[in-house]
Amino acid sequence: MPEQLSIFELISNASLLVQIVMGLLMLASVASWMMIFQRWFFLRRASRDMERFEDHFWSGIDLRQLYTELDGGDDLSGIESVFVAGFREFTRMSEQVGADTEAIMQGVQRAMRVAVNREEERLERSLPFLATVGSTSPYVGLFGTVWGIMNSFRSLANMSQATLASVAPGISEALVATAMGLFAAIPAVIGYNRFSARVDVLMNRYEVFSDELTSILQRAAHARTQTKGG
Amino acid sequence: MTLLRDQFLPLVLALAVHAAAVLALVGGFQPEREISQVIKPKIVNSTLLVLEPKAKPAPAPKPRAQEPAPAPAKPKPVTKPTPVASKPKPDPEAIRREAEARIQEQKERLRQERLKRLAEQSFADALAAESDAMDTADDDAVALSYQQGIMQLIVANWSRPPSARNGMQARLLVELVPTGEVVGVSVVESSGNGAFDRSAEQAVRKAHRFEVPKDPALFEEKFRRMYLLFQPEDLLR
Repeated sequence: MPEQLSIFELISNASLLVQIVMGLLMLASVASWMMIFQRWFFLRRASRDMERFEDHFWSGIDLRQLYTELDGGDDLSGIESVFVAGFREFTRMSEQVGADTEAIMQGVQRAMRVAVNREEERLERSLPFLATVGSTSPYVGLFGTVWGIMNSFRSLANMSQATLASVAPGISEALVATAMGLFAAIPAVIGYNRFSARVDVLMNRYEVFSDELTSILQRAAHARTQTKGG
Repeated sequence: MTLLRDQFLPLVLALAVHAAAVLALVGGFQPEREISQVIKPKIVNSTLLVLEPKAKPAPAPKPRAQEPAPAPAKPKPVTKPTPVASKPKPDPEAIRREAEARIQEQKERLRQERLKRLAEQSFADALAAESDAMDTADDDAVALSYQQGIMQLIVANWSRPPSARNGMQARLLVELVPTGEVVGVSVVESSGNGAFDRSAEQAVRKAHRFEVPKDPALFEEKFRRMYLLFQPEDLLR
Protein backbone atom coordinates (compact mmCIF):
# COMPACT_ATOMS: atom_id res chain seq x y z
CA MET A 1 0.00 0.00 0.00
CA PRO A 2 1.92 3.04 -1.15
CA GLU A 3 -0.25 5.76 0.37
CA GLN A 4 0.04 6.44 4.06
CA LEU A 5 -3.33 6.67 5.75
CA SER A 6 -2.59 9.58 8.01
CA ILE A 7 -5.25 11.03 10.26
CA PHE A 8 -5.17 14.28 8.31
CA GLU A 9 -5.84 12.49 5.04
CA LEU A 10 -8.74 10.72 6.68
CA ILE A 11 -10.19 14.05 7.75
CA SER A 12 -9.57 15.80 4.44
CA ASN A 13 -11.07 12.90 2.46
CA ALA A 14 -14.25 12.84 4.51
CA SER A 15 -17.47 14.14 3.03
CA LEU A 16 -18.51 17.73 3.66
CA LEU A 17 -21.14 16.95 6.28
CA VAL A 18 -18.75 14.77 8.24
CA GLN A 19 -16.16 17.53 8.04
CA ILE A 20 -18.68 20.05 9.36
CA VAL A 21 -19.52 17.71 12.21
CA MET A 22 -15.83 17.29 12.97
CA GLY A 23 -15.26 21.04 12.92
CA LEU A 24 -18.21 21.57 15.24
CA LEU A 25 -16.90 18.99 17.65
CA MET A 26 -13.43 20.50 17.53
CA LEU A 27 -14.88 23.92 18.39
CA ALA A 28 -16.95 22.41 21.18
CA SER A 29 -13.88 20.66 22.53
CA VAL A 30 -11.74 23.82 22.50
CA ALA A 31 -14.54 25.84 24.09
CA SER A 32 -15.20 23.26 26.78
CA TRP A 33 -11.51 23.02 27.65
CA MET A 34 -11.47 26.81 27.86
CA MET A 35 -14.42 26.73 30.26
CA ILE A 36 -12.76 23.98 32.27
CA PHE A 37 -9.58 25.98 32.78
CA GLN A 38 -11.48 29.19 33.43
CA ARG A 39 -13.80 27.56 36.00
CA TRP A 40 -10.86 25.80 37.56
CA PHE A 41 -8.99 29.07 38.15
CA PHE A 42 -12.16 30.86 39.23
CA LEU A 43 -13.28 28.26 41.76
CA ARG A 44 -9.81 27.87 43.16
CA ARG A 45 -9.64 31.63 43.68
CA ALA A 46 -13.15 31.67 45.18
CA SER A 47 -12.39 29.00 47.79
CA ARG A 48 -9.06 30.65 48.63
CA ASP A 49 -10.83 34.01 49.10
CA MET A 50 -13.44 32.28 51.22
CA GLU A 51 -10.84 30.85 53.57
CA ARG A 52 -8.97 34.13 53.84
CA PHE A 53 -12.15 36.06 54.61
CA GLU A 54 -13.32 33.58 57.21
CA ASP A 55 -9.97 33.76 58.96
CA HIS A 56 -10.25 37.52 58.90
CA PHE A 57 -13.88 37.49 60.04
CA TRP A 58 -13.37 35.20 63.01
CA SER A 59 -10.17 36.88 64.13
CA GLY A 60 -12.26 39.09 66.43
CA ILE A 61 -12.24 42.18 64.23
CA ASP A 62 -14.98 44.77 64.71
CA LEU A 63 -17.66 44.17 62.04
CA ARG A 64 -18.20 47.87 61.37
CA GLN A 65 -14.49 48.28 60.70
CA LEU A 66 -14.49 45.26 58.40
CA TYR A 67 -17.49 46.74 56.57
CA THR A 68 -15.84 50.11 55.96
CA GLU A 69 -12.69 48.30 54.85
CA LEU A 70 -14.57 46.27 52.27
CA ASP A 71 -17.22 48.75 51.15
CA GLY A 72 -14.70 50.96 49.40
CA GLY A 73 -13.25 48.15 47.25
CA ASP A 74 -14.91 47.39 43.93
CA ASP A 75 -13.47 43.91 43.43
CA LEU A 76 -15.34 41.95 46.05
CA SER A 77 -15.09 38.19 46.20
CA GLY A 78 -18.18 36.05 46.70
CA ILE A 79 -18.28 35.81 50.46
CA GLU A 80 -17.26 39.46 50.89
CA SER A 81 -20.16 40.68 48.83
CA VAL A 82 -22.57 38.57 50.92
CA PHE A 83 -21.20 40.13 54.06
CA VAL A 84 -21.30 43.66 52.63
CA ALA A 85 -24.90 43.25 51.41
CA GLY A 86 -26.08 41.94 54.77
CA PHE A 87 -24.28 44.49 56.85
CA ARG A 88 -25.29 47.43 54.64
CA GLU A 89 -28.94 46.44 54.99
CA PHE A 90 -28.49 46.11 58.73
CA THR A 91 -27.00 49.60 59.16
CA ARG A 92 -29.62 51.17 56.90
CA MET A 93 -32.53 49.51 58.70
CA SER A 94 -31.21 50.24 62.14
CA GLU A 95 -30.75 53.94 61.29
CA GLN A 96 -34.50 54.22 60.66
CA VAL A 97 -36.47 55.18 63.69
CA GLY A 98 -39.07 52.73 64.93
CA ALA A 99 -37.73 49.66 63.14
CA ASP A 100 -38.12 46.61 65.36
CA THR A 101 -35.75 43.63 65.47
CA GLU A 102 -38.05 41.45 63.43
CA ALA A 103 -38.21 43.87 60.51
CA ILE A 104 -34.46 44.52 60.56
CA MET A 105 -33.63 40.83 60.51
CA GLN A 106 -36.09 40.12 57.71
CA GLY A 107 -34.49 42.83 55.59
CA VAL A 108 -30.97 41.54 56.35
CA GLN A 109 -31.87 37.96 55.48
CA ARG A 110 -33.49 39.01 52.24
CA ALA A 111 -30.48 41.08 51.22
CA MET A 112 -28.09 38.24 51.99
CA ARG A 113 -30.23 35.71 50.14
CA VAL A 114 -30.14 37.92 47.08
CA ALA A 115 -26.36 38.25 47.37
CA VAL A 116 -25.92 34.49 47.80
CA ASN A 117 -28.10 33.84 44.76
CA ARG A 118 -26.09 36.30 42.72
CA GLU A 119 -22.90 34.56 43.80
CA GLU A 120 -24.32 31.17 42.90
CA GLU A 121 -25.05 32.49 39.45
CA ARG A 122 -21.46 33.67 39.12
CA LEU A 123 -20.04 30.36 40.31
CA GLU A 124 -22.20 28.28 38.01
CA ARG A 125 -21.64 30.33 34.91
CA SER A 126 -20.69 28.16 31.87
CA LEU A 127 -21.32 24.93 33.74
CA PRO A 128 -24.49 24.36 31.67
CA PHE A 129 -22.33 24.65 28.57
CA LEU A 130 -20.08 21.87 29.83
CA ALA A 131 -23.13 19.74 30.57
CA THR A 132 -24.48 20.33 27.07
CA VAL A 133 -21.20 19.46 25.40
CA GLY A 134 -20.82 16.41 27.61
CA SER A 135 -24.23 15.03 26.82
CA THR A 136 -24.67 15.94 23.14
CA SER A 137 -21.26 15.69 21.50
CA PRO A 138 -21.20 11.86 21.50
CA TYR A 139 -24.47 11.96 19.59
CA VAL A 140 -23.18 14.57 17.18
CA GLY A 141 -20.09 12.42 16.59
CA LEU A 142 -22.26 9.37 16.14
CA PHE A 143 -24.33 11.22 13.60
CA GLY A 144 -21.19 12.03 11.60
CA THR A 145 -20.10 8.41 11.78
CA VAL A 146 -23.44 7.01 10.67
CA TRP A 147 -23.54 9.43 7.79
CA GLY A 148 -19.98 8.55 6.72
CA ILE A 149 -20.61 4.80 6.92
CA MET A 150 -23.85 5.21 5.02
CA ASN A 151 -21.96 6.95 2.21
CA SER A 152 -19.15 4.44 2.13
CA PHE A 153 -21.61 1.56 1.84
CA ARG A 154 -23.56 3.36 -0.83
CA SER A 155 -20.40 3.77 -2.90
CA LEU A 156 -19.76 0.07 -2.33
CA ALA A 157 -22.96 -0.73 -4.20
CA ASN A 158 -21.45 0.64 -7.44
CA MET A 159 -18.46 -1.67 -7.30
CA SER A 160 -18.40 -5.08 -8.94
CA GLN A 161 -15.82 -6.48 -6.55
CA ALA A 162 -16.51 -5.61 -2.94
CA THR A 163 -13.37 -5.89 -0.88
CA LEU A 164 -12.72 -4.84 2.66
CA ALA A 165 -10.07 -2.43 1.37
CA SER A 166 -12.68 -0.45 -0.54
CA VAL A 167 -14.89 0.24 2.51
CA ALA A 168 -12.29 0.36 5.25
CA PRO A 169 -11.02 3.90 4.60
CA GLY A 170 -14.56 5.29 4.53
CA ILE A 171 -15.47 3.60 7.78
CA SER A 172 -12.21 4.67 9.35
CA GLU A 173 -12.76 8.30 8.44
CA ALA A 174 -16.32 8.13 9.66
CA LEU A 175 -15.19 6.72 12.98
CA VAL A 176 -12.90 9.70 13.45
CA ALA A 177 -16.07 11.72 14.07
CA THR A 178 -17.12 9.45 16.94
CA ALA A 179 -13.64 9.61 18.39
CA MET A 180 -13.76 13.39 18.31
CA GLY A 181 -17.20 13.42 19.92
CA LEU A 182 -15.95 11.30 22.78
CA PHE A 183 -12.80 13.37 23.01
CA ALA A 184 -14.94 16.47 23.50
CA ALA A 185 -17.49 14.82 25.79
CA ILE A 186 -15.31 13.05 28.34
CA PRO A 187 -13.44 16.07 29.74
CA ALA A 188 -16.64 18.11 29.66
CA VAL A 189 -18.55 15.56 31.74
CA ILE A 190 -15.68 15.14 34.20
CA GLY A 191 -15.31 18.92 34.45
CA TYR A 192 -19.02 19.43 34.93
CA ASN A 193 -19.29 16.88 37.73
CA ARG A 194 -16.21 18.11 39.49
CA PHE A 195 -17.06 21.78 39.27
CA SER A 196 -20.70 21.41 40.22
CA ALA A 197 -19.57 19.49 43.33
CA ARG A 198 -17.20 22.30 44.20
CA VAL A 199 -19.90 24.90 43.60
CA ASP A 200 -22.18 22.97 45.96
CA VAL A 201 -19.52 22.98 48.64
CA LEU A 202 -18.96 26.72 48.23
CA MET A 203 -22.69 27.48 48.24
CA ASN A 204 -23.09 25.48 51.39
CA ARG A 205 -20.38 27.47 53.07
CA TYR A 206 -21.92 30.77 51.91
CA GLU A 207 -25.25 29.77 53.40
CA VAL A 208 -23.68 28.68 56.67
CA PHE A 209 -21.82 31.96 56.81
CA SER A 210 -24.93 34.01 56.11
CA ASP A 211 -26.76 32.17 58.90
CA GLU A 212 -23.93 32.87 61.27
CA LEU A 213 -23.89 36.54 60.29
CA THR A 214 -27.66 36.70 60.74
CA SER A 215 -27.41 35.41 64.27
CA ILE A 216 -24.62 37.85 65.13
CA LEU A 217 -26.57 40.78 63.69
CA GLN A 218 -29.76 39.65 65.41
CA ARG A 219 -27.92 39.67 68.71
CA ALA A 220 -26.69 43.19 67.94
CA ALA A 221 -30.17 44.39 66.93
CA HIS A 222 -31.68 42.89 70.03
CA ALA A 223 -29.11 44.65 72.22
CA ARG A 224 -29.83 47.95 70.43
CA THR A 225 -33.61 47.76 71.05
CA GLN A 226 -32.94 46.78 74.64
CA THR A 227 -30.73 49.84 75.23
CA LYS A 228 -33.26 52.08 73.43
CA GLY A 229 -36.12 50.69 75.39
CA GLY A 230 -34.17 50.87 78.65
CA MET B 1 -8.98 44.00 30.88
CA THR B 2 -9.88 41.44 33.50
CA LEU B 3 -12.11 39.76 30.95
CA LEU B 4 -9.16 39.46 28.59
CA ARG B 5 -6.99 38.03 31.36
CA ASP B 6 -9.74 35.68 32.48
CA GLN B 7 -10.31 34.32 28.98
CA PHE B 8 -6.84 34.47 27.46
CA LEU B 9 -5.01 32.02 29.70
CA PRO B 10 -7.77 29.37 29.52
CA LEU B 11 -7.85 29.74 25.75
CA VAL B 12 -4.09 29.25 25.46
CA LEU B 13 -4.22 26.23 27.76
CA ALA B 14 -7.14 24.72 25.87
CA LEU B 15 -5.29 25.11 22.57
CA ALA B 16 -2.19 23.57 24.14
CA VAL B 17 -4.19 20.54 25.25
CA HIS B 18 -5.52 20.06 21.72
CA ALA B 19 -2.13 20.51 20.12
CA ALA B 20 -0.73 17.85 22.46
CA ALA B 21 -3.60 15.51 21.59
CA VAL B 22 -3.07 15.98 17.85
CA LEU B 23 0.68 15.38 18.22
CA ALA B 24 0.08 12.20 20.20
CA LEU B 25 -2.40 11.05 17.58
CA VAL B 26 -0.03 11.71 14.67
CA GLY B 27 2.83 10.02 16.48
CA GLY B 28 0.76 6.99 17.34
CA PHE B 29 -0.95 6.66 14.00
CA GLN B 30 1.95 5.88 11.64
CA PRO B 31 3.60 2.59 12.76
CA GLU B 32 0.49 0.48 12.21
CA ARG B 33 0.65 1.20 8.50
CA GLU B 34 4.30 0.32 8.10
CA ILE B 35 3.77 -3.32 9.01
CA SER B 36 1.57 -3.91 5.99
CA GLN B 37 4.32 -2.77 3.64
CA VAL B 38 6.56 -5.71 4.48
CA ILE B 39 4.53 -8.08 2.29
CA LYS B 40 5.60 -6.45 -0.96
CA PRO B 41 9.02 -7.88 -2.01
CA LYS B 42 7.72 -11.05 -3.75
CA ILE B 43 8.31 -9.70 -7.25
CA VAL B 44 11.69 -8.23 -6.40
CA ASN B 45 12.87 -11.67 -5.32
CA SER B 46 12.14 -13.27 -8.65
CA THR B 47 14.10 -10.69 -10.63
CA LEU B 48 17.07 -11.17 -8.33
CA LEU B 49 17.03 -14.88 -9.18
CA VAL B 50 17.41 -14.05 -12.85
CA LEU B 51 20.26 -11.67 -12.21
CA GLU B 52 22.32 -14.18 -10.29
CA PRO B 53 23.15 -16.65 -13.10
CA LYS B 54 24.13 -13.78 -15.39
CA ALA B 55 26.99 -12.79 -13.16
CA LYS B 56 28.38 -16.32 -13.08
CA PRO B 57 29.46 -17.01 -16.70
CA ALA B 58 32.55 -14.79 -16.54
CA PRO B 59 34.43 -16.75 -13.89
CA ALA B 60 32.91 -20.14 -14.75
CA PRO B 61 34.43 -20.89 -18.18
CA LYS B 62 37.94 -20.00 -17.08
CA PRO B 63 38.73 -23.07 -15.08
CA ARG B 64 37.33 -25.20 -17.89
CA ALA B 65 39.52 -23.55 -20.52
CA GLN B 66 42.57 -24.14 -18.41
CA GLU B 67 41.83 -27.79 -17.93
CA PRO B 68 42.59 -28.90 -21.52
CA ALA B 69 45.90 -27.08 -21.40
CA PRO B 70 47.74 -29.61 -19.26
CA ALA B 71 46.40 -32.47 -21.39
CA PRO B 72 48.04 -31.42 -24.70
CA ALA B 73 51.16 -30.46 -22.80
CA LYS B 74 51.82 -34.14 -22.32
CA PRO B 75 52.73 -34.83 -25.96
CA LYS B 76 55.72 -32.55 -25.47
CA PRO B 77 57.87 -35.17 -23.90
CA VAL B 78 56.73 -37.52 -26.66
CA THR B 79 57.94 -35.21 -29.44
CA LYS B 80 61.17 -34.50 -27.69
CA PRO B 81 62.57 -37.97 -28.10
CA THR B 82 62.50 -37.55 -31.91
CA PRO B 83 65.18 -34.85 -31.94
CA VAL B 84 67.07 -36.95 -29.46
CA ALA B 85 66.74 -39.93 -31.83
CA SER B 86 67.81 -37.88 -34.85
CA LYS B 87 70.78 -36.45 -33.11
CA PRO B 88 73.01 -39.51 -33.48
CA LYS B 89 72.79 -39.13 -37.30
CA PRO B 90 75.66 -36.80 -38.02
CA ASP B 91 75.40 -36.43 -41.84
CA PRO B 92 73.67 -33.18 -43.04
CA GLU B 93 73.04 -31.87 -39.59
CA ALA B 94 72.14 -28.37 -40.58
CA ILE B 95 69.46 -29.37 -43.09
CA ARG B 96 67.99 -31.92 -40.80
CA ARG B 97 67.91 -29.52 -37.94
CA GLU B 98 66.22 -26.98 -40.05
CA ALA B 99 63.64 -29.51 -41.17
CA GLU B 100 63.12 -30.72 -37.63
CA ALA B 101 62.75 -27.20 -36.41
CA ARG B 102 60.17 -26.58 -39.08
CA ILE B 103 58.29 -29.76 -38.25
CA GLN B 104 58.35 -28.89 -34.61
CA GLU B 105 57.14 -25.43 -35.34
CA GLN B 106 54.28 -26.82 -37.38
CA LYS B 107 53.42 -29.29 -34.68
CA GLU B 108 53.54 -26.55 -32.14
CA ARG B 109 51.26 -24.41 -34.24
CA LEU B 110 48.84 -27.27 -34.75
CA ARG B 111 48.80 -28.03 -31.09
CA GLN B 112 48.14 -24.47 -30.19
CA GLU B 113 45.37 -24.18 -32.72
CA ARG B 114 43.80 -27.32 -31.39
CA LEU B 115 44.17 -25.97 -27.91
CA LYS B 116 42.58 -22.71 -28.87
CA ARG B 117 39.73 -24.51 -30.60
CA LEU B 118 39.21 -26.68 -27.58
CA ALA B 119 39.18 -23.69 -25.29
CA GLU B 120 36.73 -21.88 -27.53
CA GLN B 121 34.50 -24.87 -27.76
CA SER B 122 34.47 -25.45 -24.03
CA PHE B 123 33.74 -21.77 -23.53
CA ALA B 124 30.84 -21.97 -25.98
CA ASP B 125 29.61 -25.14 -24.32
CA ALA B 126 29.78 -23.48 -20.95
CA LEU B 127 27.90 -20.47 -22.28
CA ALA B 128 25.20 -22.63 -23.81
CA ALA B 129 24.84 -24.61 -20.62
CA GLU B 130 24.61 -21.39 -18.62
CA SER B 131 21.98 -19.88 -20.88
CA ASP B 132 20.01 -23.12 -20.74
CA ALA B 133 20.15 -23.10 -16.99
CA MET B 134 19.19 -19.45 -17.05
CA ASP B 135 16.25 -20.12 -19.33
CA THR B 136 14.90 -22.89 -17.17
CA ALA B 137 15.38 -20.81 -14.03
CA ASP B 138 13.62 -17.95 -15.78
CA ASP B 139 10.80 -20.23 -16.88
CA ASP B 140 10.46 -21.59 -13.38
CA ALA B 141 10.24 -18.12 -11.94
CA VAL B 142 7.64 -17.06 -14.52
CA ALA B 143 5.64 -20.24 -14.00
CA LEU B 144 5.79 -19.76 -10.25
CA SER B 145 4.46 -16.23 -10.46
CA TYR B 146 1.59 -17.36 -12.69
CA GLN B 147 0.90 -20.29 -10.37
CA GLN B 148 0.75 -17.93 -7.45
CA GLY B 149 -1.72 -15.76 -9.31
CA ILE B 150 -3.89 -18.80 -10.04
CA MET B 151 -3.72 -19.91 -6.44
CA GLN B 152 -4.77 -16.49 -5.19
CA LEU B 153 -7.70 -16.38 -7.57
CA ILE B 154 -8.88 -19.82 -6.49
CA VAL B 155 -8.48 -19.05 -2.81
CA ALA B 156 -10.46 -15.85 -3.31
CA ASN B 157 -13.26 -17.82 -4.93
CA TRP B 158 -13.18 -20.74 -2.56
CA SER B 159 -15.79 -20.91 0.15
CA ARG B 160 -15.14 -23.86 2.37
CA PRO B 161 -18.10 -25.89 3.55
CA PRO B 162 -18.64 -25.88 7.31
CA SER B 163 -17.82 -29.58 7.35
CA ALA B 164 -14.24 -28.95 6.19
CA ARG B 165 -11.66 -30.12 8.71
CA ASN B 166 -7.93 -29.75 8.99
CA GLY B 167 -6.14 -32.63 7.33
CA MET B 168 -8.60 -33.07 4.47
CA GLN B 169 -7.15 -32.77 1.04
CA ALA B 170 -8.58 -33.07 -2.43
CA ARG B 171 -6.56 -33.26 -5.63
CA LEU B 172 -8.15 -31.80 -8.72
CA LEU B 173 -7.12 -31.99 -12.35
CA VAL B 174 -7.72 -28.71 -14.12
CA GLU B 175 -7.45 -28.45 -17.89
CA LEU B 176 -6.86 -25.11 -19.54
CA VAL B 177 -6.73 -23.81 -23.09
CA PRO B 178 -4.02 -21.30 -24.09
CA THR B 179 -6.35 -18.36 -23.48
CA GLY B 180 -6.51 -19.39 -19.84
CA GLU B 181 -10.10 -20.61 -19.98
CA VAL B 182 -10.95 -23.60 -17.83
CA VAL B 183 -12.23 -26.43 -20.00
CA GLY B 184 -12.25 -29.30 -17.56
CA VAL B 185 -12.24 -29.87 -13.83
CA SER B 186 -12.25 -33.28 -12.26
CA VAL B 187 -11.56 -34.65 -8.84
CA VAL B 188 -8.58 -36.98 -9.03
CA GLU B 189 -8.25 -37.76 -5.39
CA SER B 190 -11.25 -37.24 -3.15
CA SER B 191 -10.95 -35.90 0.37
CA GLY B 192 -13.67 -38.28 1.52
CA ASN B 193 -16.05 -35.40 2.04
CA GLY B 194 -18.31 -34.75 -0.91
CA ALA B 195 -19.11 -31.18 0.07
CA PHE B 196 -15.44 -30.32 0.36
CA ASP B 197 -14.67 -31.78 -3.09
CA ARG B 198 -17.57 -29.93 -4.61
CA SER B 199 -16.51 -26.66 -3.00
CA ALA B 200 -13.02 -27.03 -4.45
CA GLU B 201 -14.46 -27.80 -7.88
CA GLN B 202 -16.80 -24.84 -7.59
CA ALA B 203 -13.89 -22.58 -6.68
CA VAL B 204 -12.10 -23.45 -9.92
CA ARG B 205 -15.28 -23.11 -11.98
CA LYS B 206 -16.09 -19.77 -10.40
CA ALA B 207 -12.60 -18.46 -11.19
CA HIS B 208 -13.49 -19.44 -14.81
CA ARG B 209 -10.42 -17.89 -16.40
CA PHE B 210 -6.82 -17.73 -15.26
CA GLU B 211 -3.85 -15.62 -16.28
CA VAL B 212 -1.42 -17.93 -18.11
CA PRO B 213 2.00 -17.30 -19.71
CA LYS B 214 2.05 -16.30 -23.39
CA ASP B 215 4.96 -18.65 -24.11
CA PRO B 216 3.31 -21.75 -25.71
CA ALA B 217 6.10 -24.14 -24.68
CA LEU B 218 5.84 -23.12 -21.07
CA PHE B 219 2.06 -23.32 -21.22
CA GLU B 220 2.11 -26.83 -22.68
CA GLU B 221 4.61 -27.96 -20.10
CA LYS B 222 3.05 -26.60 -16.95
CA PHE B 223 -0.41 -25.20 -17.49
CA ARG B 224 -2.36 -27.31 -19.95
CA ARG B 225 -3.00 -29.91 -17.28
CA MET B 226 -2.60 -28.78 -13.71
CA TYR B 227 -2.98 -30.79 -10.57
CA LEU B 228 -4.22 -28.67 -7.69
CA LEU B 229 -4.14 -29.73 -4.08
CA PHE B 230 -6.85 -28.27 -1.84
CA GLN B 231 -6.24 -28.20 1.88
CA PRO B 232 -8.37 -26.23 4.30
CA GLU B 233 -5.25 -25.21 6.28
CA ASP B 234 -4.35 -22.95 3.40
CA LEU B 235 -7.19 -20.63 4.32
CA LEU B 236 -6.48 -20.48 8.00
CA ARG B 237 -3.64 -18.07 7.54
